Amino acid sequence: MTGYILRRLAQLLPVTLLASLAIWAMIYAVPGGPVGAMVGENATPEQIQAVTERLGLDRPVLVQYGAWLGKALQGDLGLSLQNRQPVMELILERVPATVQLGIAAILIGLLIGVPIAILSALHPGSRLDRALSAWSALALGIPTFWLGILLILLFAVELRWLPSASTYVSIFESPGRAIMSLLMPAFTLGVYVSGIFARFLRASLIGELHADYVRTARAKGLPERDVVGRHVLRNALLPFITIVGLMLASFIGGALVTEAVFTYPGLGRLLIQAISTRDYPLIQGAILFILVIYVVINLLVDVAYAWVDPRIEYG
Amino acid sequence: MSASQRPALVAARRVLARKGAFMAASFLALMAIVAFLAPWILPGDPLTQNLRHALEPPSAAFWFGADELGRDILTRVVYGARTSLVTAMGAVTIAGLIGVPIGLVAGFYGGWRDAVLMRLVDVILALPGILFAMALIAVIGRSQLAALVAVGITGIPSFARITRAQVLSLRRRDFVIAVDALGGSASHLMFKTILPNSWSPILVQVVILAAVAILLEAALAFLGVGIPPPTPSWGEMLRTGKSYLYEAPYYAVLPGLVLTLTILSLDTLGRTLATVLEHRQGSTGEPEPEGQRL
Repeated sequence: MTGYILRRLAQLLPVTLLASLAIWAMIYAVPGGPVGAMVGENATPEQIQAVTERLGLDRPVLVQYGAWLGKALQGDLGLSLQNRQPVMELILERVPATVQLGIAAILIGLLIGVPIAILSALHPGSRLDRALSAWSALALGIPTFWLGILLILLFAVELRWLPSASTYVSIFESPGRAIMSLLMPAFTLGVYVSGIFARFLRASLIGELHADYVRTARAKGLPERDVVGRHVLRNALLPFITIVGLMLASFIGGALVTEAVFTYPGLGRLLIQAISTRDYPLIQGAILFILVIYVVINLLVDVAYAWVDPRIEYG
Repeated sequence: MSASQRPALVAARRVLARKGAFMAASFLALMAIVAFLAPWILPGDPLTQNLRHALEPPSAAFWFGADELGRDILTRVVYGARTSLVTAMGAVTIAGLIGVPIGLVAGFYGGWRDAVLMRLVDVILALPGILFAMALIAVIGRSQLAALVAVGITGIPSFARITRAQVLSLRRRDFVIAVDALGGSASHLMFKTILPNSWSPILVQVVILAAVAILLEAALAFLGVGIPPPTPSWGEMLRTGKSYLYEAPYYAVLPGLVLTLTILSLDTLGRTLATVLEHRQGSTGEPEPEGQRL
């Protein structure tokens, strides 16, 4: 097991390093280079001199990258150009909001998607199955940002039940308000998750329902509820873990867009603001941060898969 | 057996025989025709401003209302289709022209070439597509070309991976070994023998990626980093429409609806195509093709 994790790390590490190199190097491609990015293109020679010295731009390129990476590994991502705050602080401030949105969306996706998957897998080809399949096609196809706008039109503009812009309220401090402000964004993002569950868990369940052990369980008189709940669902979740890995990229992208729709103060909004104000250290920091999170979750998915399924060899 | 016209026609007929795929293809064809003929069939142009009609609700003159500058929303949606189609075609072309040769070479030679090329491709996958595109646009600036190139680059990995998998499975087939034994050069084997027999999964990928490209372009515009105004773009219209939800609730409805129908149609077409072609060629056991969503 340890060997397997180490081998996966050995595969992921070079890619992650290369990606970090690209993120670091992006500042050199900006018009005016790193100095221009820091002080603007109309800087005085003194300013340019000062920035060059402060950033150590007179050193060899690889030394600069090494220094940047070394600092980043210690959590020092530099200062934001906008308000001179440490980039890491700005990022960590936003993390709880995004995590709360993500978890709420996954819960909503599970609540809608799993029953749909089970219902349609039990009656494949039926009218119900086809109707539910239409839901998953729609859920996977509808752009998050349009769905969000429609929800705002209905629940905020028309019915006036919910606020059109969401603020971040910690669920631990004020659960009621947190749920109210999370309802629309979490549903918007959760619909996509429900589509993933409905489509892929259904396929994986149907595969399992034909297995011999299901016939045995039925033959010995086990109630259908136990056959599905205790046996089939567990086994069907195995191949499904890979799907969770595959949906991760869409989920992160969807979260980014959802935050923009509801002006929700998460990591995605921070990045978009950074891009519009050309706050390069913040852009680099936020992208590097998401890269690391993404790689770590991908690794966890792999490990979870190997751990749950003893048939996978990781020797 | 090369990619002659006949199997393509048979496949097309089988795809269109299914109701969902037929409806999807009809919608896409209609949209493409209207977008192409827009200057001749629409009375106005998408950039003409008329502030007296700003945010006017739907009427005989403005079927879907007017935007904040008094421009006809329907006209802009139709011209937005042009933007989307151009982005989709451009991005898929970029992704295919780079991704397919990478997959061919990686799969054909294996070894260090395979390792290096596929690790480079993995770097693109190290970030969700939209983030990669945003990072690129943050560097090269915001323009129509930037959006197109950024979206295109994010599509490279799927072409490279699909082509590589196809090469690996064809490499040991008798007809490839025969050409190899007869002294066919590496490039002849790759481009004349293997590639013509790999078109079906690549074609499916083209359709799937077209949907991803249109969605990604719209999302970038929605976030304010895509194609800059005043070029009509569905994403940009949704972005502006969102600021006028109370004054003009109809604003964001039409662009979003057309965008969603386009994505759903391409999805349906891609999935049907995959099913039809797989039945013909035998399933590869690969999971269903699925593009990144937003």
